[in-house]
Amino acid sequence: MSPREYKLIFAGSMGAGKTTAIAAISEIAPVRTDVENTDRAAHQKAMTTAAMDYGEVTLAGGDKLRLYGTPGQSRFDFMWKILGNGALGVIILVDNSRPDPLADLREYLQAFRELAQDSRAVIGIGRGESHPNPQLDAFHALIRDIGVSAPILSVDVRRREDVLLLLDILFNQIEASELVDLAPSGSRVQ
Amino acid sequence: MNAPPALNLGLVALCQQQIDSLIEAHSEIRGVLVSSIDGFEVAARMRGSASPAKLAAMTSSLLALGEAVSDEGEVGHCRDVVIDASAGRVLLMDIPHATRKLLLTVLSDNASTLGQVLWAVRTCRQEIGRRLAE
Repeated sequence: MSPREYKLIFAGSMGAGKTTAIAAISEIAPVRTDVENTDRAAHQKAMTTAAMDYGEVTLAGGDKLRLYGTPGQSRFDFMWKILGNGALGVIILVDNSRPDPLADLREYLQAFRELAQDSRAVIGIGRGESHPNPQLDAFHALIRDIGVSAPILSVDVRRREDVLLLLDILFNQIEASELVDLAPSGSRVQ
Repeated sequence: MNAPPALNLGLVALCQQQIDSLIEAHSEIRGVLVSSIDGFEVAARMRGSASPAKLAAMTSSLLALGEAVSDEGEVGHCRDVVIDASAGRVLLMDIPHATRKLLLTVLSDNASTLGQVLWAVRTCRQEIGRRLAE
C-alpha cells in the first residue's frame, strides 16, 4: 500500500509558538511567511506569520504528515478556514503569559470546532513555568463546559520531543475515537 | 476597523489623498487600499461594499505567500500579485521602500487592460514610496 499523507494544523494565538513548533520537527526547511510585526502592543516579537507555515514529517510506516501553521491574529481568520479544510487534526497552542489564555483557547476551539468535537484536537499550554495561572484544571473545566474532549499538556514547543509528544497524543486520540483508520498500527512519529 | 500601525498622520493623509485622486481620475478603479505589511488598514476608499480591514489582512497573506513562492522558485522578490477574476481584477503590490513597507491593493473592473491600470496606479505608488523615504 502506498504511503498516505495527513494534514495537521497548528493553531493558537500570536506568539504561542506555532512557527517554532513546526520548525522543531520538520524534516524540510519550513516554508515561512513572516513579515514585520507593526503591532507591538499585541506582542513584542519582531516578525509575525501573515499566511502560513509549512513543514513535513515522515512516520515510521512511510506515511507523511503535512504540518500547516496558521497566523495567530483573528484578522487572519480567513486563513484558518482555508488551512483547516481537509485537516485530520489540530494542535492548539496556548501562551499562558497572555492576558486571557482561557479566552484564547475558547476562540480557537470555536474556530476549529468540527475537529475538536470529533476528538481530533490536542492542546498544548506554553510558558506555564513562568506563568502558572491559569492552571491545567481551569483549561480542563473550560473544554468540559464547551463540550469538547481533548488532551491538555504543558509543553515547551522549542523542545522537539514536546512537539512530537503532542503529535503522538493527537494520533492516539484520533485512533481511540475510532473515527479514522490509521492502520498499519505502529505508525508513530519517530 | 483594525488598529492602524504606528504611522505619522501626515503619511496617512497623503495615502488618503493619493487614493482619492486615483479613484476620481479612473472610473474603472473600484477601490484602493494602503495597508501595513502585517495586515492593518492605513487608508482606503471603496466604491462597493468590500471591507478594507479584511482586504488588508488578505493582501498581507497573499503577498507573503507570493514572497514564499518566489523564494522557492528562486525568482527573486515578489513585487506584485494579480488576480484575474470573472468581473474584474485585483492588483496587490508593495510600495517600494528599504525598511518601512506598505502594501497597495487596487480593485478594478474589466473595462481597461492590466497595463492601463498599472500605469494609472504608478503615480500613487511612487508618491507614497517617495514620502516614506523622507
